Amino acid sequence: MKLTTIKAYILKEFMELYRTRLIIMVYLMPSMIVLLFGYGIRMDVTHARILIIDNDQSKFSQMLTSKFEHTKYFNAKVLHVSEKEALRSIKQAKTDAVLIIPSSFEKRLLHGQKSEIGIFVDASFPTRATTIEGYIKGTVLDTASEVAQRGGLSAKGLITLNQRTLFNQAMRDEDAIVPGLIGLVLLVAPAILAALLIVKEKEEGTIFNFYASPLSKGEFLLAKLFPAFLLHSINIFILFLIAVYIFNVPFRGSFMLYWLSSELYILISLSIGMLISVITSRQIVAVVLTVIITIIPGFLYSGMLMPISSMVGESYIEAHLFPVMYYNHILYDTFLIGQGLGSKKIIMYLLILVGFAVVLFSAGTLLLKKEMK
Amino acid sequence: MKIFAMIVSKELLSFLRSIGLVLVVLYSFTADVYIAGSGIQIKPRNVVVGYVDATGGGVSQKILSKLHQPEFRPPVMFLSQKALSDAIFNKEVMVGLVFDDDFEKNYRSGKKAQINLLLDATAASQSLTTLIYLQNIIIDFQSMNFPLVLKSHKLFNQNADNHSFIALTELLSVITLLIVILTAIVFVKEKEDGTWDIMLLTPVNPKIIILAKSFSQVLIVMAGVVLSLGFVIFGAFDVPLNGSFWAFMLLTFFYSISSAGIGLFVAAVSKNVMQVAQLSIIIMMPLIFLSGAWTPVYAMHPVFQTLSLFSPLRYYIEGTESIFFRGTEFIDLWPYFSGVLILGTLLYLYGFRKIGKLF
Repeated sequence: MKLTTIKAYILKEFMELYRTRLIIMVYLMPSMIVLLFGYGIRMDVTHARILIIDNDQSKFSQMLTSKFEHTKYFNAKVLHVSEKEALRSIKQAKTDAVLIIPSSFEKRLLHGQKSEIGIFVDASFPTRATTIEGYIKGTVLDTASEVAQRGGLSAKGLITLNQRTLFNQAMRDEDAIVPGLIGLVLLVAPAILAALLIVKEKEEGTIFNFYASPLSKGEFLLAKLFPAFLLHSINIFILFLIAVYIFNVPFRGSFMLYWLSSELYILISLSIGMLISVITSRQIVAVVLTVIITIIPGFLYSGMLMPISSMVGESYIEAHLFPVMYYNHILYDTFLIGQGLGSKKIIMYLLILVGFAVVLFSAGTLLLKKEMK
Repeated sequence: MKIFAMIVSKELLSFLRSIGLVLVVLYSFTADVYIAGSGIQIKPRNVVVGYVDATGGGVSQKILSKLHQPEFRPPVMFLSQKALSDAIFNKEVMVGLVFDDDFEKNYRSGKKAQINLLLDATAASQSLTTLIYLQNIIIDFQSMNFPLVLKSHKLFNQNADNHSFIALTELLSVITLLIVILTAIVFVKEKEDGTWDIMLLTPVNPKIIILAKSFSQVLIVMAGVVLSLGFVIFGAFDVPLNGSFWAFMLLTFFYSISSAGIGLFVAAVSKNVMQVAQLSIIIMMPLIFLSGAWTPVYAMHPVFQTLSLFSPLRYYIEGTESIFFRGTEFIDLWPYFSGVLILGTLLYLYGFRKIGKLF
C-alpha cells in the first residue's frame, strides 16, 4: 500500500469533483428527484370531477347526489344536459366521470323493479379510472344498502368491514412513495457518479497516467470510489431529513439499521457503476447505460407501485435478482414497520445485500484492466 | 435553401456514423418504451389474501369464494391471528381477513356482522384500490336481491388497460429527453472539437446553420416516433387511435421544435457533453414529472399547476391523450396546439438568440 500516493489521488479526486461542479449533481440530483416525485406523483384520487345528470329529481336521487357532493373524493356538478353534451365535456378533458340517474328511479325502486344507473368514466388515465369507478360504485351501493336497511328490503344482517390498515394508517401517498424513492435514488446516483469517474479518464486519455503509475488496481479503485462513497454517505442523512421533515413520513425503526444498510447499498450501487465503466468508453454511453440498468428495476421492483407478493412468474424471479427489493424491504421496515433485527427475514436480506456487494465489487476489480488494449 | 439541405444531410450522416448514438436512440424508442409499457402495472393483480375463519364456514366461505382471479389469488388459510399478522409483517400477505366466531350468528339474526380486515398499506394506491374492491364485493354480496343495477362504462379504454397508457407516456418522455439532448449535443460536439470556429469561417449565414442543425435533429426524432408507433405502440400494445394520426404527427412536430429550443439553450450554456447531460436532466426531470405524465395536472399541488402552464410538455401530453384515447375532434384540440405553438415559438426564439450570440 502506497498510502501517500493514495492520499494524493483521493485529494485530486475531491478537487476534481469540486472543480467540474459534479459535486452539485451529487447533492442536487437525489434531493431533487425525491422532492419532485414526492410532490408530483399522486396515486390517490381526490376531487374527481363528476357530472351528475339527475333525470328523476326525487328524494332518493337527491340523497344520492348529496352523497357525492359531501365527500372530498368528488367535485360534483349536477347539470341538466344531454348525454351527448356530457360526453363532449369528457372528450374535452373537463370531466372525469358522468353519472346518469334514470327518470322514475325512486318509483321503480320502491316497487322493487330493477332500475339502472349509468356510469361513464374517462379511462384515458386507466388507474385513476379504476379508482374513480370504484369510488362511484361504492358510494352508490352504500347509499342503496342504507336505503334498503331503512326500508326493510333486506332481511339479513348488514356486513361491515372493520378495516385496520397497517403501517400507513392514513394511506398517504407520501409514506408509500418516499422511502421507495430513497431506494431508487441511492441506486441510481452513486452508480452514475462511479461510472463517470473512470470513463471520463478513459475518454480524456488521462487513464494512461494510471496505467503508468505505480498504483495497483485495488488502490486505484479505492482512491476513485472513496470520495464518491463519502459524499454519497451524506446523502443518506439528507434524504432521511427530507423524508421525515418535509414529507412527514414516520420513522419507526432503528436509525442504525437504516444507516448501515444504506451504506452497504451505496457500495453495491458504486460497484454497478464501476462495472459499467469497465465496459464502456464514452461518458454519454456510460450515463445512458447506467440509467437504463438502474432506473427501471429500481422502480419496478421497489414495492412502491406493486407489492412483491403480488408478482407472478418471471417478474417475481427478476425481482429477486436485483438488490432493490432487499434494500427496500429493510427501508420500508425502518420507516413504517419497525421490526428491526428482530425479524429473521431482515437479517437474511441484510446478508444477501452483503453478498451482492462482495460479488459485484470483486467482479469490477477483476474486470478492470491496468494496461492498454 | 441548398445550403440548408446540405447541412441537414451532413448532420444526418454524422448521426448515422456514430453507431453508439444510433443504438441509444433506437433502444429508447423501442425497447425502453416496450419495457416500461409491459412492466409497470399499477392495478392490483394477484393480491395474496390470508384469512382466519372461526365461524366454521358458511357465509364466510361464500364471501371468500367471491375473491377470484385476476385480482386476487385463492385465499390462504391461517390458523391464528398471530400467524396471519406475522405473514403480513413479512410482506408475504397483503390482505388479512378475520371472521370472528359470532360473525355468522350475527349475520343470520339480522344484527351487524363485522369482518376484521388487516391491510398492508405500504403501497398506498394498491391497498386503496384493493380495499375498494373488497368493499364492493361485500356490498355486492348483500345487495344481490336488491333491485339496482349499476351499468358502468369505461370510455375509450374499456379494460382500463394500463400498458398502452404507460407505453404512450413513456414515448412522450423519450421524445422530450432525446430532442433536448440530441440538439444540444450537435452544437456542443462542435464546440468541444473546435470545428465551431471553422463553421464560422465559412461564408454560410450562421442563422441557416443553426436552423438546419436543429431541424436535422427534429427529423431524427420524428423518424424515431414513427418507428416507435409502428413497432411498439401499435405493434406490441395495440393502443387505440381514436383521433387523427396526422394531428398527432403535427403536434409532435411543433413540440419537437419547441424542445429543440430548450436544447439550443442548454448548448449555449454548457461547455462539454457531460454538462449537457447534467443540465438536460436537471431541466427535463421537473418538466416531465410536473406536466401530467404520472398524475393529471389538476390533481397536483396548486403551485405546480400554475407552473405547469409554462411547460409545453403539459399541452403535448394532454393533447396526445385526447387524440389517442378520447378521439377529440380537431377543433377541440386548439388549446393544445396553441399552447405548444406559443411556448414553442418563444422557447425556440430564446434558444436561437442565446446560441446565436456565440457567433
